[in-house]
Amino acid sequence: MSKILKKATLLVLAATTLLFSLMDQAAFAHGERATEPYIRTRTVHWYDVTWSTDALNVNDTVTVQGKFHLLNDWPDSVSLPNLVFLSNGSPGAVMTRVESYINEIPARQSTKGLIIGRDYDFKLVMKARKVGQWHLHPVMNIHGAGAVVGPGEWITVSGNEADFKDPLTTLTGNKIDDLQTFGVSRVQMWQFGFGLIAAVWILWWLRRPLIISRWLVVQKGRENLLITPMDDKVAAGLLVLLAMVVLVGYTRTTSEFPELVPLQSGSLSAPPLPKPPHAVEVKFKRAEYDVPGRSMRLSVEMTNTSDQPVSVGEFTTANLRFINKSLPAAVAAVSSKFPKELVPRNGLVIDNPEPLAPGESRLVNLDTTDAAWEVERLVSFLSNVDSRMGGLLFFYDGKGNRSMSEVYGPIVPVFKKTI
Amino acid sequence: MTDNDQAILAAAEMSPRIARYSRTFDYLIVVIAAFLVWSVTHIHFLLFAGDWDFFIDWKDRQYWILITPIVSIMSAAAFQAIFWSLFRLPIGATASALLFLIGVWIVRYHSWEGMAYFPLSLVVPATGLVGAMALDCILVLSRSWVITAVFGGVIYGLSFFPTNWIYLAPYFQPAEHMGEMASVADIIGYVFPRSGTPEYIRIIERGTLRTFGDSANWVSAFFSAFVCIFAYSVFWLMGVAACTPKYIPVGYRFKELYGAKIDAGAV
Ligand SMILES: [Cu+2]
Repeated sequence: MSKILKKATLLVLAATTLLFSLMDQAAFAHGERATEPYIRTRTVHWYDVTWSTDALNVNDTVTVQGKFHLLNDWPDSVSLPNLVFLSNGSPGAVMTRVESYINEIPARQSTKGLIIGRDYDFKLVMKARKVGQWHLHPVMNIHGAGAVVGPGEWITVSGNEADFKDPLTTLTGNKIDDLQTFGVSRVQMWQFGFGLIAAVWILWWLRRPLIISRWLVVQKGRENLLITPMDDKVAAGLLVLLAMVVLVGYTRTTSEFPELVPLQSGSLSAPPLPKPPHAVEVKFKRAEYDVPGRSMRLSVEMTNTSDQPVSVGEFTTANLRFINKSLPAAVAAVSSKFPKELVPRNGLVIDNPEPLAPGESRLVNLDTTDAAWEVERLVSFLSNVDSRMGGLLFFYDGKGNRSMSEVYGPIVPVFKKTI
Repeated sequence: MTDNDQAILAAAEMSPRIARYSRTFDYLIVVIAAFLVWSVTHIHFLLFAGDWDFFIDWKDRQYWILITPIVSIMSAAAFQAIFWSLFRLPIGATASALLFLIGVWIVRYHSWEGMAYFPLSLVVPATGLVGAMALDCILVLSRSWVITAVFGGVIYGLSFFPTNWIYLAPYFQPAEHMGEMASVADIIGYVFPRSGTPEYIRIIERGTLRTFGDSANWVSAFFSAFVCIFAYSVFWLMGVAACTPKYIPVGYRFKELYGAKIDAGAV
C-alpha cells in the first residue's frame, strides 16, 4: 500500500469514528441540554415526576406521570403555550405510546390554550418495544418555541423484540394483528406490480442501440426510425392496461372498505388544575451566578401568609432539584428512584435555618453550589439576550404540607462574591 | 438485433465494430444515468414535498393529494424532456418515478426502520409511477410535449389518488383510541413516537375544503391535475434548456489568469 493511500484510509477511518461518536452523543443527549437556559428555567417546570418502573420486558408498560407549572415570567422570545403537544424523548420508536393525558384530557392530538402561571398534570403510558437502555423523558412541545424536555430516567428493556405486537380492532370489526406490519404487504405487492410493468417498459426501449446511435439519427432528422408503429401499439396498450388496473383496483377497494375516515386533526383544551397551596409571598431581590464558584445565589424577601410556620425545602429549575438537607420533609419528598444526576449533592443552603413564623417577613439568601450548573449547560446566562432566571420554591410546614411559589428575576454573572 | 435496430445503425453510419463499442458505452451511460435520475428526483422531492409522503398520518385528503403529484411530475417532466429531445427515448418519466420508488424503499428499510426503529406501516410511500408511465405513453403516441402536458399532466394528477388508494385505503379505517375516533393511520402515527415531530406540525385539511364534504379527495385530485399541466410545462422547458449546449463568452483576463498566452493583437 502506498503512503498516500494509507494516509487517506486512516483519514477516512478517523472521520468515520468522529462522525459515529458524534452521532452516539446525539442519540444519548437528545436535546435535553441543548435548549437555551432561559427557556429551560423560565417556561415549563416539571415536578413530582415519577416512572412506574425502570426495568421492564418487551410489551410491558411504564407510566410516567407528574405535574408541570408554566412560569409567569415566560420569556418574550418564546411563543406562549397556546398550542402544545405532550410527547416523550427517546431515540426513535424504541417505546410505543399507549396513552397520554394532560389533566386527564386525552393528548393524542395537540392541546390548546394552556395558561401561564398555572399547573397541569400529565400522564404518559409507554410500552417497551426495543431491547436496550433508553432515557425516557416527558417532553412538552410548544408551537413556535420547540421542545422543553422534562427529567429523564434510564429504562432497561429486556426480553425478545420479536414478541412485540400491537393489535387493534377497527370500529367495523376488522382485526389488525400488529400495527407495525399492517398493510405493508398490500402496498409492496401493488407497488412491485407497477414497478414490474415500468421495468418492462424501460427495457422495451433499452434493448435497442441507444445513446450515440439514436442521437446521430435524431441529428439526421430520421426520427421515424426511432419510434416504430409497434411502439405506438405498445404505448396504447399500456395506457389501456393501466387505466383498467387502476379503475378495477379502485372500485374493488372502495367496495372492500366502504367505511373510511379522513385523518383526524384538531386540538383539545385542558383547563388548568386548581391553584396549589401558596403559603409564602416571595419578593425577588437579586440573583447572581458565581462563574468560578459554579454557584447560583438568590436573595429574596419571603413573607409567610399562612397560619403555620414554614421552611424552604426545595428550589427547582431546569429539572434540577436543590434540596434543603436540613429539612426532613424536603429530603423525604425525593424518591430514592428519582434520577440522582438531577439532585445536586450540595443541595440548597439557606443562611437562616429558622422556620418563617406566620406573618413574618424576612430577607433570605439561598445558595445552590454545584457542578450541575455546568454539566446541565445552564451557565450560558452570559451569552443570552435575556439574562434572567426562574424557578419554583417549595415550602413545608410542620405537618409536612407543601406549598409552592414562583421566583424569577434578572441574574448577574459575577466573578467575585457579592451576596 | 431487429430490422429496426439495423436500420438505426445504418442511419447512424455505424460499422458493426463501432456499434459494439457504442453498445458498451450505452451500458455505462445507463448505469450512471440511473444514479443521476434517482438522486436528482429524490432530492427534488425531499426539498419540495418533504413530510407529505414520509408518514402515513400525513397523507391527508387535501395537501398530500395536491402536493405529491405536483412535485413528482416536475422531475418526471425534466428527465422526459432530456431523454426525448436528445435520443427520442420515452422513458424519462417512468425511470424517474421507478428509480425514486426503489430509492424510497431502500431509505425506508435502511434509515427509517433500521436506524430510527419506525415500523414500515408508519412510512409506506405513495408513488406516481402509473401517471409517469402514462406520460411516457402519451408522449410516444402524440410526439408532442404540449399534448403530453395537457393530457398527460391531467392524467398524472388525477390518477395519483385512486392508484395509491388501492393499497393505502386500509389505513383509513376508523378505530377508537382513548375515547376518540381516529383512523388507523392516526393511531400508527401516535403509537410510534417521532420525538422531534409534534402532532401540531401536521397540516391536515386546513382551509375551506370541508365545504366539499365527502368528495374532498377528488376535489384535490382535480386541482392537482390542473396545476400538473403547468408544472409539467415549466420543467419540460427546463429539461430542454439543460440539454441545449451554450457557449459562455470568457474574457481574455480570465483566460490569462488560467495561464493562456494571449496575443496582444487578438485583444
Ligand atoms: Cu435523555
